[in-house]
Amino acid sequence: MTGLMAPPIEIENIGGGLADEVHERSGASPMRCYQCAKCSSGCPVADGADRKPHELVRMVQTDQRQAVLTSRFIWACTSCHTCTTRCPQQVDIAGMIDALREMSRRAAAAAPATAVPVFNEIFLDAVRERGRIFELGLMLGFKLRTRRLFEDVDKAPMMLLKGKLPLSSPRVAGKDERDALFGRAAATTLEAGAATTPAPPAATTPAPPADGGSK
Amino acid sequence: MTYTFFPGCSLDGAAKDYHRSTLAVAAKLGLELPELKDWICCGSTAAHSTDPLLADALPAKSLSAAGGSTVAVACAACYSRLKTANHHIAQDAALRARVAHVVGRDYDGRTPVLHLLEILGRDIGLARVAAAIRRPLAGLKVACYYGCLLVRPPEVTNFDDPENPTLMDQLLQTAGAEPLAWPHKTECCGASFSITDSSVVLELGKRILDMAQAAGADCISTACPLCQLNLDMRQKDMERRFGRRYRLPVFYFTQLLGLAMGCRPDELSLDSLVVGPGELLAAKGIGR
Repeated sequence: MTGLMAPPIEIENIGGGLADEVHERSGASPMRCYQCAKCSSGCPVADGADRKPHELVRMVQTDQRQAVLTSRFIWACTSCHTCTTRCPQQVDIAGMIDALREMSRRAAAAAPATAVPVFNEIFLDAVRERGRIFELGLMLGFKLRTRRLFEDVDKAPMMLLKGKLPLSSPRVAGKDERDALFGRAAATTLEAGAATTPAPPAATTPAPPADGGSK
Repeated sequence: MTYTFFPGCSLDGAAKDYHRSTLAVAAKLGLELPELKDWICCGSTAAHSTDPLLADALPAKSLSAAGGSTVAVACAACYSRLKTANHHIAQDAALRARVAHVVGRDYDGRTPVLHLLEILGRDIGLARVAAAIRRPLAGLKVACYYGCLLVRPPEVTNFDDPENPTLMDQLLQTAGAEPLAWPHKTECCGASFSITDSSVVLELGKRILDMAQAAGADCISTACPLCQLNLDMRQKDMERRFGRRYRLPVFYFTQLLGLAMGCRPDELSLDSLVVGPGELLAAKGIGR
């Protein structure tokens, strides 16, 4: 019987911190989840990941910040939105995961095995620089950064042969304008993040003796 | 009929064949698609997994330049990002103000965005599409594959039934083909994991191709550059890794419609397909 159940989860706290912060950042309401696991049934990557979506939601509900922000699952998610679409409680799980990715990256806690944040960074740098994505440049940049030079070596010649990999790169005018746009977006998000981020973690401030809930 | 076209980055790169076949079909239907001037990348998954404000600002910058005219999109990922930004901005005044600050001009989130499937299937309509058919795709069994981002989340895209969409099926049926009932129309292909971890795409693509094959498909029809690329370019790798034999051509739906409307194979860039469709089309007597 126990083999069918999700692994036990250490409960530090119910609700509060992480669930509120996720809600503030993404509008998703993880506290509404009643663990039916319909999200995990339809998730294309749940069976190969360290957590399933409904387990991740539970960990957010129980405020397990460290385990959530270092979870490989948040980077294994393909953003297919099957979970969000099927959730009977309208929990926007995909939106929650986007918020967790952002928080994980800011806390420099991203799971070490994932190359996704590096890819995202190269992708967005290219958008800022050129306005559009030049696929050959994107692939080369990613390979150099992750030192995966020999992966998929057959694909570039195949794509060239099929006319699917133009060698000239697009460039849209207005780079200064884009630099300013990216700068303002980062500054505004940082400001909003500072307003929602809770005070320093409990470890750095002694817990008041009256707080019988903490161990 | 005229729509402002937002082609997106892939249509000038790996999906040039989608671009070309879209314009060929548009010409047959009297559909004009002038390109939005100086459009920029929608930000794709990279933006929405990094910074929600940037993810709304990039589409807002392009959409605000469309002057309110309806924007036509071919790529499912662009479609999703443009519609998501509209959804957010139109219903949240505070967010609208933040986006206006970031972009440098106000945008109300109300520029209509339509996918080509919606324009062909609903605005132009099946009757006019039927009238343009010259060489019906008789006997061609097609698995219409929609992927994730056209249909989900439905309150954002409002595209079709999110579990069993039929818009592409209806168009291809109008073109004389036999669209199949099959359960993997909206399963995920792994998307940009094609670059970051291709083993994900091989596993998810295998599930889709297995199901299409089991349903008796001759070929697959797609409406998204990444879906097409993953199922076509990596099909041989899937065959090798999992000991399968598919040989399933993966078309853009515009290529199939174009064939039925009498376009030449080169107008549709059929030779860009990695799994060559020549044998299949010859066997069915299509395209001659």
